[in-house]
Amino acid sequence: MALVHKLLNGTYILRKCPQPSVASCPFLSTRVAGYCSKSLEKPVATPSKGSSQRNTEETLQGHHQREVALDITSPEEKPEVSFDKAITDEIKDHFRRLKDEIVNHWIGPEGRPLQEVLLEQAKVVWQFRGKEDLDKWIVTSDKTIGGRSEVFLKMGKNNQSALLYGTLSSEAPHDGESGRSGYCAMMSKVPRGSFERKRSYDWSQFNTLYLRVRGDGRPWMVNIREDTDIIQRKNQMYSYFMFTRGGPYWQEVKIPFSKFFFSNQGRIRDAQYQLLLDKISSIGFTLADKVDGPFFLEIDFIGVFTDPAHTEEFAYENSPVLNPRLFK
Amino acid sequence: MSWAQAILLARGLSRGWGGICGAALTGATFSQLPPQSPRGLHCSSATHNSDSSLVPRPPEPLRKPAKALAPHEELFRQAPDGARDKASFVRAVQNFGQHNVHKRGHVDFIYLALRKMKEYGVERDLAVYNMLLDIFPKEVFRPRSVFQKIFIHYPRQQECGIAVLEQMENHGLMPNKETEFLLIQIFGRKSYPMLKFVRMQLWFSRFKNINPFPVPRDLPQDPVDLARLGLRHMEPDLSARVTVYQMPSSKDSIGTADPIEPHIVGIQSPDQQAALARHNPARPIFVEGPFSLWLRNKCVYYHILRADLLPPEEREVEEIPEEWNLYYPMQLDLDYGRSGWDDYQFDINEVEEGPIFAMCMAGAHDQATLAKWIQGLQETNPALAQIPVVFRLAASTGELLASSGLEEPSPPPPEEQEEEEDDPQRQRRGQS
Repeated sequence: MALVHKLLNGTYILRKCPQPSVASCPFLSTRVAGYCSKSLEKPVATPSKGSSQRNTEETLQGHHQREVALDITSPEEKPEVSFDKAITDEIKDHFRRLKDEIVNHWIGPEGRPLQEVLLEQAKVVWQFRGKEDLDKWIVTSDKTIGGRSEVFLKMGKNNQSALLYGTLSSEAPHDGESGRSGYCAMMSKVPRGSFERKRSYDWSQFNTLYLRVRGDGRPWMVNIREDTDIIQRKNQMYSYFMFTRGGPYWQEVKIPFSKFFFSNQGRIRDAQYQLLLDKISSIGFTLADKVDGPFFLEIDFIGVFTDPAHTEEFAYENSPVLNPRLFK
Repeated sequence: MSWAQAILLARGLSRGWGGICGAALTGATFSQLPPQSPRGLHCSSATHNSDSSLVPRPPEPLRKPAKALAPHEELFRQAPDGARDKASFVRAVQNFGQHNVHKRGHVDFIYLALRKMKEYGVERDLAVYNMLLDIFPKEVFRPRSVFQKIFIHYPRQQECGIAVLEQMENHGLMPNKETEFLLIQIFGRKSYPMLKFVRMQLWFSRFKNINPFPVPRDLPQDPVDLARLGLRHMEPDLSARVTVYQMPSSKDSIGTADPIEPHIVGIQSPDQQAALARHNPARPIFVEGPFSLWLRNKCVYYHILRADLLPPEEREVEEIPEEWNLYYPMQLDLDYGRSGWDDYQFDINEVEEGPIFAMCMAGAHDQATLAKWIQGLQETNPALAQIPVVFRLAASTGELLASSGLEEPSPPPPEEQEEEEDDPQRQRRGQS
């Protein structure tokens, strides 16, 4: 299944023009979203409601497309479409990656000698130094549930940082059940090995998350997901807050992993458990501070490091009132 | 207890009666019912319309207008002068208690009051929330037997109590002891509102003071004070000095034909002043902006005075005397130096940008205003007279708005703070 996804994705890249009709297939929705973030400015493909909304959306999209047209090759030129070639290329690519993985495993974890990995005290996990780094991220907003927020991800002015910007709108979708709305989010894609096997990050030797960001004074939420195959746990996250100072200076945010609290489906759980760092699947940033208006967040890089001064195991004790079962 | 059961029974009967009547009146909409229709029919039509209310309606006046109003809406209209403040809200709540000795329809009333709170400006008032909770009859909804504890006892009322607490939560209000006593009196210890209360107490106290860049809850109304606050908020250097270069001229003193002088407030730290004095006059410096800054729910715009990054060959490395250096042993060259274990540096080149010399917030974003700021800066920075200053403003407002394609092309008034909803980053890129 995963291979088929990848193949379809590959052919789309070959075609060079995103087809919005793919969005009708529910399996491909994440792929489409990912592709959107790849194509620089294009917002998340969602069915728009209402003619007026569609109008503004179209003007916006048209505007961004014009901006894009400055630095990408125009879609006018005819790319050759060859399905067989795409398939063979994909298969070759996957086998090459499989070979690399086996060889790297022989050398050490992640293809580096064991000693180097063990001695490492600070590691850059995500950086933004080129357009290909943006492919590792997905941006979504409440447009997917019918809201009006917009979010875009692109490279910054000096091409050395990612700029996440857009407009937050807390207007609830008119679907009769949602009472409130208004979020914009950016999350990293789950790393994939050869043949689209899911992989994860192992941060167990680090204890602090490090972000170098520049914001506009809005509070963000940092979400970390553990890698899990249990379907009941797919909505579980560990979150903490990131406050931006605002202003023209870069800001270093250090969040110890012990501060992350446990939530399921967006609700804080009564029974709190520590974030286990050996299998981390993705990280995300959410903005939902109920303040309508434009926002931006520039990210230089995201890393993890060991803070020797930080010895806290877990910041939240469980309350005997809320979960007496843990105290029996 | 017994009267509540009796009421529930009566409700069931009346609904059954309503069903029969509704079947009899096929096709007739309820709003077309004659106003002199019997009371039972009227009540049953009301319950038929909104099945969500478990509690029977209060006897509604028959002169009710045809369009559907929320019940008890008239309590909130009684303020004679139309004043919408805490006093009139409290009066409305008290009136409900006086008119309904039996507290009929109190769930509907509480939901209505929760919706009205924002209008009356009491959504951040803990005493008002406690007063709303006080409407609930005491001791009635407390579960008394084991089975009542297992199954949700009076679910609508509990949901309503949770809704009150949730609105408190959304506005960041910490419930106090009085709330706890009320909840225990109304719903008992083993109930969902009480559970919500315990959770709120636990998590609110944990997250109360985690913002390292706190902003006061009530922002100053005066734009100069707001600009002062915003600049202090952005500047990490505590020794920086805020200067008001121009106070806003009062609008009403002179005729409207006179152009209004916007306020200009700037901030500069001694380090920035020294850096500006050292700046090579051959290289221009730039006034850039406007960039947005959010202070709670208010957006203010600021401009910066900056230079481009020096090319690497022109940078002189500043030697820090060893006794000033916090990382003093880094200079030592000993055998037992640092090994791989001690390398806490990230293996990446951080984004470097040119130095920033000053920041300002002005009432207008045009070049004339900012030129006044530069003039004011020259008094404390004489070196600025020799350095060419380039204005890289995104706001020659007309073209900016036209390019965004969303707003109407009329130029905004000069003292706007919120009109420019456009993304400054986009503007900045468009200019550079």
